[in-house]
Amino acid sequence: MTALLSIRDLTVSYRRDGAEVAALKHVNLDVAAGERLAIIGESGSGKSTLALATAGLLPASSRIDGCLDWFLPSSPSVGAKAPPSEGGVKERQPSEFITRSTHTPLGGRDIGFVFQDPSASLDPVMSVGEQIAEVAHTHLRLTWPQSYAWAKTLLERVRLSDPDAALRAYPHQLSGGQKQRVAIAAAIAAGPKLLIADEATSALDTIVQAEIVALIRQLVAEDGMTLLFVSHDIALATELAERIAVFRHGELVELGPTAQIIAGPRHAYTRALLDAHLGLDAEPMPQPAGASR
Amino acid sequence: MSRPLLAVSGLTKRYRRGGKSIAAVDDVSFDIEPGETLALAGPSGSGKSTIARLLLRLIESDAGRIEFEGGDFLSLSGAALRARRARLQMVFQDPLAAFNPRATVARVLDDPLRIHGIATRSERPRRIAALLDRVGLSADLAGRAIHEISGGQRQRIAIARAIATKPSLIVLDEAVSALDVSVRRQILQLLLDLQREERIAYLFISHDLGVISAIAHRVVILDAGRVAESGNARAVIGAPQSTIGKALVTAAPKLNRTSTQGAADRQ
Ligand SMILES: Nc1ncnc2c1ncn2[C@@H]1O[C@H](COP(=O)(O)OP(=O)(O)OP(=O)(O)O)[C@@H](O)[C@H]1O
Ligand SMILES: Nc1ncnc2c1ncn2[C@@H]1O[C@H](COP(=O)(O)OP(=O)(O)OP(=O)(O)O)[C@@H](O)[C@H]1O
Ligand SMILES: [Mg+2]
Ligand SMILES: [Mg+2]
Repeated sequence: MTALLSIRDLTVSYRRDGAEVAALKHVNLDVAAGERLAIIGESGSGKSTLALATAGLLPASSRIDGCLDWFLPSSPSVGAKAPPSEGGVKERQPSEFITRSTHTPLGGRDIGFVFQDPSASLDPVMSVGEQIAEVAHTHLRLTWPQSYAWAKTLLERVRLSDPDAALRAYPHQLSGGQKQRVAIAAAIAAGPKLLIADEATSALDTIVQAEIVALIRQLVAEDGMTLLFVSHDIALATELAERIAVFRHGELVELGPTAQIIAGPRHAYTRALLDAHLGLDAEPMPQPAGASR
Repeated sequence: MSRPLLAVSGLTKRYRRGGKSIAAVDDVSFDIEPGETLALAGPSGSGKSTIARLLLRLIESDAGRIEFEGGDFLSLSGAALRARRARLQMVFQDPLAAFNPRATVARVLDDPLRIHGIATRSERPRRIAALLDRVGLSADLAGRAIHEISGGQRQRIAIARAIATKPSLIVLDEAVSALDVSVRRQILQLLLDLQREERIAYLFISHDLGVISAIAHRVVILDAGRVAESGNARAVIGAPQSTIGKALVTAAPKLNRTSTQGAADRQ
């Protein structure tokens, strides 16, 4: 297992009303290159704080201790599905040469981030094509025409039904599921090593959710990306992830392969989470005295 | 057999979009018995919230009838409508969003008691404490601002507010969707306890079929504004007949512990 990221003794606190509130406490976690890791836990357990800390997106009101060691290729690397490049436009480094990187990875280039509310990551006054092309232009140093061509390829990859129309569309003209596909296209535009999805499907209905999850799984597999999938839906996490990290009150309480977390949770809290899940075959809760027919 | 508490028939609501008229709710009929939970499920945009808004008369229907507690609900107006509305309450996903976040819990619960003339000014603090107790919260919370309390506590307060007027029916639109699993379970248990003790009926709108299996008696599955199928909740979810019902069940994430349950229990 090659590590992509090694999190050591990470402690994050927020300043609120003059006091410091600890959101993560002494977290140690290794993320392997190419794995799908889910972060689960109840509301307020620190899942988003971990995702934001990893992406370097924590607000200024936060205080961070500990370290994040990245083991990134020495230069911006592009996954297997690289954009069309014509001789010498884009420099390609000897591929996959792994060095320990001391620089902070660049959001957008090394890390793609997808939020619960796609509107949060999309600019309402910019067409979808422009937003994706801009990522490619900035991080891949493609020309504008190449960037637009790449944007269209990405919209096809995220399976938007009419990519040409989508290129020209503005976010408000798209449904929630379509917007989330666009946000994913923008997140993977620069060929990041790590894709972080924070409750990326929680606002969608189950049919659209299943489509987006299948899409993420496919993209991660094809490009050899690493996935950090944050969710409070344990069933969804088990369908997508190879490993699950369980957080509670800012602490990592359990980490293991998905099958082991489901079959033999070691921590009582993990078991409580599993027990609280209501599946399709959920037993009726203590039966109300209503008129059953 | 007793009259249903709520009887909806031929309910229709159209919206105009880009010059075309689209039926958000199209000839929908169902009824709810006293003390019963009927779930409304369906994909995004299938008309669930529109039905809720029609029932509460927040919007007007284009066709159809709504009978509630034996009377024609759509013909009511003025004082008669206000009085009947006290019997039909609603809880949303983020029910306190409409309030100033600095408003206190007491203020949120005082409103319905005052508006519906349920308690005199001097009686109200005691009633508020009783309501908080009813939903499992401490009376100390009354002085707290709503931005200072957790999501689960907010949802309990929304339920306390809904039951303040002694309703016979509460419409819950994705009321537990934003809560994490453990808090969600507590809120569902509270709803079931209230139902058992006060015979409140629920119209429970959710896209979570697991939650529906656990608490609903019957389910209506909507697709594009029409009823795709309906029946006993566990029977429908266990073996859906309609195309959309099958798609929803197939797409739902599943936690398969059955073959491994033993291992977990032995730990
Ligand atoms: N910007 C902030 N300022 C102050 N406190 C914050 C901030 N962001 C998060 N917190 C607090 O830090 C703790 C962890 O929050 P975090 O958002 O990481 O939890 P989460 O596990 O993602 O929860 P959820 O499932 O509700 O998204 C909580 O107590 C939260 O209130
Ligand atoms: N005010 C409105 N004007 C125009 N169209 C509307 C309006 N309100 C709802 N609609 C449309 O009516 C249909 C039904 O919407 P509704 O909100 O009832 O769906 P829903 O089943 O509650 O969906 P969700 O699960 O996403 O909440 C949708 O196509 C929606 O776009
Ligand atoms: Mg979060
Ligand atoms: Mg709705």
